Amino acid sequence: MSTTFSSSVSSMQATSLATFQKPAALVSRTNLSFNLRRSIPTRFSISCAAKPETVEKVSKIVKKQLSLKDDQKVVAETKFADLGADSLDTVEIVMGLEEEFGIEMAEEKAQKIATVEQAAELIEELVEANK
Amino acid sequence: MAAPFTLRKIGVPPNSANLTEARRRVFDYFRAACRSIPTIMDIYNLQDVVAPSQLRFSISAQIRKNAHVTDPKVIDLLLFKGMEELTDIVDHAKQRHHIIGQYVVGEGLVQNTGSKDQGKSDFLKNFYTSNYF
Repeated sequence: MSTTFSSSVSSMQATSLATFQKPAALVSRTNLSFNLRRSIPTRFSISCAAKPETVEKVSKIVKKQLSLKDDQKVVAETKFADLGADSLDTVEIVMGLEEEFGIEMAEEKAQKIATVEQAAELIEELVEANK
Repeated sequence: MAAPFTLRKIGVPPNSANLTEARRRVFDYFRAACRSIPTIMDIYNLQDVVAPSQLRFSISAQIRKNAHVTDPKVIDLLLFKGMEELTDIVDHAKQRHHIIGQYVVGEGLVQNTGSKDQGKSDFLKNFYTSNYF
């Protein structure tokens, strides 16, 4: 296959460069003619990498800390800032989570937490590392 | 269970250059204080009086009282005083009634319902508080 390709390229170079019209043979060569062996899913689903019960516990602590009503929806993607927490509240929430799960978060990682999901994932990482 | 947290006494660090560094120091201080809470509850036998989350709330309330400050040097000084207070508490240089009075009842976490006041009338209660009611 490669030899025919190079011959068709050389034939194209032989013709004048003013016309960029590719010969039909060259077009068919550049088709994707190989098959995809695995079927790639057409739709990505954004899934939470943390377990649901961890997310549940985190949301409970967040609600208690920020004094939210029980019917306020707190899901994995909720940002703490959206719930009315300032930066000190976020640190307090992180300390509450540390106490609840018996872990210690490094300062740099804890600074990056902005959503419930990030907190739950970090918690699970540390719980796994402790075992 | 993580290893118990010990408060390391470092000398006075140089002044923070800008507000961001002052913020970072405030959060570091807050984290150190929260991690010392189990020790504090153990020393002063506060297990039946408050929960750790309530103590965290009172610490954050104290920090919030000074939240309007913008000068990094003032923040540094407030942190220095806060650190001094925290060190005193952890060293058992204070007593239980200090902690309860300043941080528990003082922040309104636990109501001090004295038994001698319960049977009295509202008239007497108002009379004791002020002249005009």
